[in-house]
Amino acid sequence: MQIGVIGGGAWGVALAKAATRTGTDVLLYSRRGTEGAQSSAPGAGKVEIAHTYPEMAKAKLLVLAVPSNVVRQVARSLGDHLDGAHLVVHGIRGLATDDLSTISDILRDETPVRRLGALGGPVQASELDRGFPSALIVGSRFGEVTSAVKKAFHSKSLRVYTTPDLRGLEWASALVGILSIGVGFGKESGAGPGLIAALISQGVDEAARIIAAAGAEPSTMFGLAGYGDLLASISLEDRPEVVVGRALARGKSLEEAVAEAKLRVEAIELLPRLIRFTKEKDVNAPGVDALVRLLQGAKPEMVLARLFAG
Amino acid sequence: MKDDAPIFGFNARREEIVREVVGRVVESTKDPLYTLNDAAYWETKRLEGARRKKDQEKLGDWQRLARNLVRMTEHERKAKLTDLASEYGWDVAGNFNPRVYDISTRLLPPLVTALLAPHKLLELARHPTDLTDLSALEGKVVVEGPTEQLRSLAKRGVMVYVPTHLSNMDSIVFGYALERAGLPPATYGAGKNLFTNPVLSFFMHNLGAYRVDRRLRHSLYKDVLKTYSGVLLERGYHSLFFPGGTRSRSGGLERKLKLGLAGTAVEAYARNLMAGKDKRIYFVPSTINYLITLEAETLINDFLSEAGKARFIIEDDESTRLGRMSTFARKLLGMDSSVIVRFGAPIDPFGNVVEADGESYDRRGRRVDPSTYVRDTSGKVVLDAARDAQYTRELGEEICRAYERETVILSTHVVASACFDVLRRAAGRDDLFTIMRPRDTIVIPRDELASDVRRRKEELTLMEQRGEICLGEFVRSASGGDMVERALRAFAGYHSHPVLEARRDGIAIRDPKLLFYYQNRLASHGLAFDALGPRPPGAPPRRGLTSATGSVSGEGQASAAAGGE
Repeated sequence: MQIGVIGGGAWGVALAKAATRTGTDVLLYSRRGTEGAQSSAPGAGKVEIAHTYPEMAKAKLLVLAVPSNVVRQVARSLGDHLDGAHLVVHGIRGLATDDLSTISDILRDETPVRRLGALGGPVQASELDRGFPSALIVGSRFGEVTSAVKKAFHSKSLRVYTTPDLRGLEWASALVGILSIGVGFGKESGAGPGLIAALISQGVDEAARIIAAAGAEPSTMFGLAGYGDLLASISLEDRPEVVVGRALARGKSLEEAVAEAKLRVEAIELLPRLIRFTKEKDVNAPGVDALVRLLQGAKPEMVLARLFAG
Repeated sequence: MKDDAPIFGFNARREEIVREVVGRVVESTKDPLYTLNDAAYWETKRLEGARRKKDQEKLGDWQRLARNLVRMTEHERKAKLTDLASEYGWDVAGNFNPRVYDISTRLLPPLVTALLAPHKLLELARHPTDLTDLSALEGKVVVEGPTEQLRSLAKRGVMVYVPTHLSNMDSIVFGYALERAGLPPATYGAGKNLFTNPVLSFFMHNLGAYRVDRRLRHSLYKDVLKTYSGVLLERGYHSLFFPGGTRSRSGGLERKLKLGLAGTAVEAYARNLMAGKDKRIYFVPSTINYLITLEAETLINDFLSEAGKARFIIEDDESTRLGRMSTFARKLLGMDSSVIVRFGAPIDPFGNVVEADGESYDRRGRRVDPSTYVRDTSGKVVLDAARDAQYTRELGEEICRAYERETVILSTHVVASACFDVLRRAAGRDDLFTIMRPRDTIVIPRDELASDVRRRKEELTLMEQRGEICLGEFVRSASGGDMVERALRAFAGYHSHPVLEARRDGIAIRDPKLLFYYQNRLASHGLAFDALGPRPPGAPPRRGLTSATGSVSGEGQASAAAGGE
């Protein structure tokens, strides 16, 4: 089977390459060439480049790996060429900042496709690129989607797990982005391993409550899509959210911190909206509250005191 | 024209249908031993302690079966399974008597005949032409919605009506609305307990209802029922399902649907495609709106009591008492537009909008071929129960959103929400039982109530303009005072306790429970106190209504902000 990958960035290219390792042929929508996307292993699938959406629609399983701020536009144009038989999954972290729609909600709005899913978990583009063993999780309420993704990506170097809790997976991914800022901040400001562990545990617990309020399974936060993904952040120096957190801890302004991360940090735009959500739903969320204060320039000691009060 | 609908030939096909159902059920039962054991377990549990001799005999049969199952050969088990499946199949299968249909629809609205003159029923069946013209009902039951489009769709595909459910009158009222809209009759499943009321039973049995025995919990029975409804859809029988599963106990809109039977639509559609037939299925979310509800008292008591969940089947309520029914009917006849049946915009089983041409369109207005949803990646139509269950869950969410848009708000709902708000402010706390605790009768000055009702109406009018809700004709044009008067008239004389009472110094609140019941119709829209449990994810945000009158203690305000807005 040939699958389609939309997004020629590092993540899209890495996903394409991971798929070719299982012998799957990949149609890659990219302005660049096939370089980096083709695995040289024997028996690997072939990568072809496509420049138009009608060409992409020939693939029945499509993977979206575009930045979250363009996903609606991409989905709307792509949607003109899809029908109910397509399976579409995305590997995009984030929620819509205006109404907290998940990316799959946006895909549901903009395309005729119903069999939707999302990728998550700790796997890094660099691991996929080099074929280092790692783990990915796919969430979909449709068994056809999870098994198609498993078939296309599961290999000796990539373990693919599945969950029916699509919504929970999408929320967990977005919340991990937010918590990662805190991880970067804590490490840079000299918090010891014990304190960092305590803050993370508290944060994960809080995220699970938020996920429940969003109508998904809180336990998803404790799995690969939540805790698993967050653990990767702790050891990663270059994750954009971690970079922002570190810069803030060094006393940089929010603008300077974002500039340092180079990539767009969606979590920052999401935070104020999320605070409103926790208030509306009456969810106790001191961690999210603390992060917002940090972004507004509050002193870490003050924030910590608040967090540990009561 | 509409006599072409397959239901007019139902009786001739009944045997064939039952045989097909039994065949499919037996074929799809992988492990007869397990299925029979499950049936014996549930039936034994149900019949234990039964007093009726017939039930005791049945209990003995099931106990014997359970004991012998292990020793039976595979062949014997299969034979037993076939016997049971066909017993259930025949029990479920309804009847359609075109003569009764004619009488009940052409000459007079069935509801009223049945209710006003139950003893005349038999006579009526014998001499249909003797009946006086009861055009009195004209204007009492109002039918709204895209009826012209629905008529054209009914010729092309299979209609699946999925209305809200408040009363045992619903199936009859809805049947009447179909007739008034020029739509062919629909078959539907009705609880077996309803067949104990001779009047309801007479009509339901002869108007294509099939019997659903909610006491039977085992998988074999459920399989028979599901297969039966699937086979009917596949053969093109227009169907009516109440996806709430049971009458709304609170009076509020359904937020969680049981689409078990309606869920067979996707499979029926796929099976037809596999047989080379592209017979479209159209879902029509609809609302049935009553100025007053026949069983309001029993239902709201049930909602408020802990036993609410256990008493899934209410054996005895206002609809089994003929006296109450005729009082109710007279009440309805006395007022214009007291029942409004509103058909919503049709959608396909995958939640796509269906336009006048009968084709499906996605949210961006692109035409979609619905058959693609049941095709696999190689383009082949396949059956997949798990996939269909998911489509059906999503359809249920779509139907709930349609209910909010298509609800028709009547004077009793608006007036009840205003009065209940007064109670809530008097209680100072947003706790249902505190609000309803008996206290000194509260009297609201008429002017104050009228102006609060008017304010609520203005809010509702804005919502209607945005397509979020519908207003009844009367509400649309009436003043606040007129609405209060109409609600007073509607409440007076039917419910066994007065709901509101007109006094010299104003309107006295007499029955908080029924006010709660009637205001609940507005709870999903954020326009009334909401104690109905969580709303589905993805539901539009609630907008609070600020109180114009009265003051609230600090505590009450705080919790109102957290819970209601």
